[in-house]
Amino acid sequence: MLNFKISRRAFLQASAATTAAAAASPKLLKAMEVELGGKDFNPNSYIERKSIPLTCHVCNIQDGAIAFVENGRIVKLEGNPEHVSTRGRLCAKGNSGMWYTYNPDRIMYPLKRVGARGEGKWKRITWDEALAEVAQKLDAALKEDPNTISFKYGRDRTGGVIGRFMNTLGSGSLINHTSVCESSKKIGMQATWGPDIETPDFANAKYILNFGSNIMEAAYFHNPYAQRLADGMADNKAKLVTFDVRLSNTAGRSDEWVPVFPGTDGAVALALGHVILRDNLQDSDFIETWTNVTVDELKDHYKQFTPEWASKLSGVPTETIERIAKEFATAKPATTYTYRGPAKHLYGSYNEKSCMMLSIMTGNIEVRGGYCLPRGMGWPQPQPAPPKAPKPSYTAAHPDYPLAEHGVAHVLPFHIAEGRQKVNIHFTYMDNPVYTNPGSDAVWGKLYRDEKLIPYFVSWSTVMGEETALADLILPDCMYLERWEPESMPNSLWPWLGIRQPVIKPLGETRETRIIARDIIRKLDPDGKRGMKKYWNFKDGEDYMRQHFDNIPGLKEAGGLDFLKKHGVWPIYGKLNPETGKISDKTGREIVAEFGLHKKELSASDMAGAVADKSGTIMKNGKAIGVQRKGKNYAGFPTGNRLINVRVDEWAEHGFNPMPTFKRIPWHETMKDDEMILSTYKYNVHVQSRTASVKWLAEIVHSNPAWMNAETAAKIGVKTGDLVRVESKVGHLVTKAYVNEAIHPKVIAISTGVGHWGYGRLAQLKLKTEKGGAWGAQDDPDLNNVWWEDKGVHPNQIIPVVVDPIGGSQGWYDTIVKVTKAGPNDKYGDVQASWEKHVEAYKETVRYAYNGDLHRKMHPEMAAWTGPESVKHKEGGGH
Amino acid sequence: MQKQNAAPAEITKDSSFPQELRARAGFYQLLAGAFVEEPGRDYLAALRVPEALASLAELGLQFDADFTDVPLSELQDALACEYATLFTCPGGCPPMESTRLAGRFQQESYHEVKAIYRCAGFELQQGRFAVFEDQLGIELSFVAVLLERWAMMLESGDMAAAGKLEKEIKRFWVLHLGRWVRGYATLLARAAEHSFYREIARLLQSFAEEEMALLGVRVDDVDGGREKVPKSEVSVLFNPDESVCDGCERGKEPNRSFA
Repeated sequence: MLNFKISRRAFLQASAATTAAAAASPKLLKAMEVELGGKDFNPNSYIERKSIPLTCHVCNIQDGAIAFVENGRIVKLEGNPEHVSTRGRLCAKGNSGMWYTYNPDRIMYPLKRVGARGEGKWKRITWDEALAEVAQKLDAALKEDPNTISFKYGRDRTGGVIGRFMNTLGSGSLINHTSVCESSKKIGMQATWGPDIETPDFANAKYILNFGSNIMEAAYFHNPYAQRLADGMADNKAKLVTFDVRLSNTAGRSDEWVPVFPGTDGAVALALGHVILRDNLQDSDFIETWTNVTVDELKDHYKQFTPEWASKLSGVPTETIERIAKEFATAKPATTYTYRGPAKHLYGSYNEKSCMMLSIMTGNIEVRGGYCLPRGMGWPQPQPAPPKAPKPSYTAAHPDYPLAEHGVAHVLPFHIAEGRQKVNIHFTYMDNPVYTNPGSDAVWGKLYRDEKLIPYFVSWSTVMGEETALADLILPDCMYLERWEPESMPNSLWPWLGIRQPVIKPLGETRETRIIARDIIRKLDPDGKRGMKKYWNFKDGEDYMRQHFDNIPGLKEAGGLDFLKKHGVWPIYGKLNPETGKISDKTGREIVAEFGLHKKELSASDMAGAVADKSGTIMKNGKAIGVQRKGKNYAGFPTGNRLINVRVDEWAEHGFNPMPTFKRIPWHETMKDDEMILSTYKYNVHVQSRTASVKWLAEIVHSNPAWMNAETAAKIGVKTGDLVRVESKVGHLVTKAYVNEAIHPKVIAISTGVGHWGYGRLAQLKLKTEKGGAWGAQDDPDLNNVWWEDKGVHPNQIIPVVVDPIGGSQGWYDTIVKVTKAGPNDKYGDVQASWEKHVEAYKETVRYAYNGDLHRKMHPEMAAWTGPESVKHKEGGGH
Repeated sequence: MQKQNAAPAEITKDSSFPQELRARAGFYQLLAGAFVEEPGRDYLAALRVPEALASLAELGLQFDADFTDVPLSELQDALACEYATLFTCPGGCPPMESTRLAGRFQQESYHEVKAIYRCAGFELQQGRFAVFEDQLGIELSFVAVLLERWAMMLESGDMAAAGKLEKEIKRFWVLHLGRWVRGYATLLARAAEHSFYREIARLLQSFAEEEMALLGVRVDDVDGGREKVPKSEVSVLFNPDESVCDGCERGKEPNRSFA
């Protein structure tokens, strides 16, 4: 018999000595999670659940997902391991997606307003009644002018359905949401290198300069990019430097957080460029070969942007600028990345361009570990397709902002109020500007309540958001887990096509967007005599998808839509490796992306009939198809001359500086000591508006105390939890303070995503105590689990409209506020703003437009510009 | 823990006369008419005839003038708005078992009742609007048709089939209706602004209690809308005073310390 009465010391020694034997012992029991998903089982019966792949759509990252269905009920969502971009991971929002579907506040039937607008009195009507009413209104509007039919959408992922609908009607009044989102980022980039977005190769970078992006939790493509960033930092020992006004979770996980004064990222970027060029750390060959400027021109231009100049503006020490510039330029490969931080300012387009210039001048373009062109895939539209509407509306092609290709939608209420855009029928889809836009209810609520300005308002919606609550008619759209949609996003270096497919049948009488559009057109043109019906020739959503996907080369051979229904995504580049969490090819090695897309040589057939001009641009049939460099014919960049345009001539034509530059926000220069700048941000579990009533997410984040620096808070005698009054030039709000050291002393930051007055029981909470409680919401089993009483305070109402005169973006982070300790009459949650003051703000921002009186003052360097009269106008809009 | 699923009592043969079963089925259908969709013109007109109003008054229902004294079309319109506010608009209390018991549409109970209907040979057909299988009106209609069948089986002398139907009805009350309609009815009576729904809710609650007593079904209502039950009236399956751990001698000591 063995003696186990041994001391603990002896036991540990024995254990250490036998480690190798223990390691060599066969281990046959495998934890199920190492399968990395794709399967799921009922925990009691162990029966495998039905799995259906799809593309997530809680936010707009478009992750690959799998829905698990048991007995017709969606019981779980997780990442699709076959998806090259998101590699089997889904964020908290994606995991909660089924609660959209089963939300007890969903709108299930067409609802017609019976009281005053916004009063909340509705009557259920049949689809037939609803469609007939809409068709009758459309018929009348078409007789006057098709452009009086306007359609504003927030998140349109229908793959072209909304555009088809408006083109069918012949209306050019299609209005997106991009100006409150990322338009100046897009315009800053498009004019320079063609695409409106970049795909940084974080996983292989050695150095990452992040300007104002919360990549790890909220930025565009945060799931795939957070993964690649983690790969790069862990495997490649990449250094991450984040410039931000707030210590976001990305800034906190960076090697270095550099707080900057709001709106000065562009100045810092220019100063970094100054150091790089001054010290000859640039990639001269790249600049000379692939851009439209010379190194000497660039060096000369950047001389003005000294570290001392930038330091004075931004507060970033000159030595920090000097050091980071040298680190970035010498740690190849390296990349920059931006999201809203630099772009959402008065001159956001300049800022965006200044940031991307760092990747350009160091030659980190289209290289492994660098700043790469986006990779995406398209799909054909069902035929026949309607021709484009004959003329754009005033707002869709704004004459004051001719360079803002993505529109200036956030000023629409002012245009309509001024009579510049007449509206007979207004449609909205997956949109909620009454909450999400600057001025929110004070501006958009005012517009939508006014039956003279918007005589008939139809909301295609799933829930009673702040906007939908003001509609005359609600057409119940279905949730993303119940509909067909084509997808592709440039969120990885491997292009992919994906689908959303119905996991269950749409609940109640909700219908797919394309079905709603089709049925309206068929009601309007039942016999096809108007020539509209022929564009809506499909049986159902799946039939429409077949018309998209069944003839795409490669996918067709793989099975077309049937392949996508089975896998959710195409191509499948490899298998998710359980050891690394990365995609491996058949040899077990990680797949490698293709780089140097601009260096792809044109074939002999491409060159047949092509000619190169003096600058080397290869023209064929009046279109630039490539560029000659060093005796070779390259594809180049997708710009008009196939080069990177450091100098943007079109900007100069409008009196803007064509070269990288920075403009300080004028009203920031005259700030008083007791004034601060209001900044907003997004939590990792919420999108801008739609998630506040989603179970799980609402529990994780439901309130948004205002971040304030301890030093600033001490000056006004405020500590965490105290009420503060935040007052801008258009209104004020009262909220709670969260005092910490993790924010710039001149900034107060309030998140969006909460503080709703619409959107349902979990978002509003008032249903626990007010009349709604009597309706039964207070007895809802989920509401009984609500342990919080704070729904947050939404800041947008006190943020005035600001328009970037180049890119059209809203200047979200430009608002000056005075913050004081709340007075005796201030109550938590008070929000007040004035339409008249917002109108004044609008009039002020228009002065910065290319034809405004402040344009020249802001651009003394463009003194030779001959004025707005010299600008060749594109076809103007009108109603 | 409250008592669940107490043993059902046998229903006497007297109470199972076909005529009575059909009368009960009629009540189920009457109640269903208020919930399946917005009350229709014929339904309201039939309810407002003096004989019907008098019968309902005898049961204790007291409709206000908003039900009795307005033109029929006006009443229908007002009830359509009330219906939308209560049952189909966000913030309301949809009369669906899933939303009442799980807080979400189309959860387990939806699938369970759908399977029960299918087993019994029924499927839902499209009315003026699509409706969920676990909607109150549909659940009530289901019992109504089972009662009709039960009556038919008794009349045809098929006692085995009649017995099965009786069990099916009891089972449906234990597993579904009994778990939520009484609580929901109390909520609806509080929430309704129109006297029609207030009184229908009262009728629903009383009728449910009577039916359960008649069927010998005892099940706790777990709907969140139920009125609070005084603690003294809560019956429990264990004695809260008995020791939790009495497996050892020390656990049985009356004055043991837990320190």
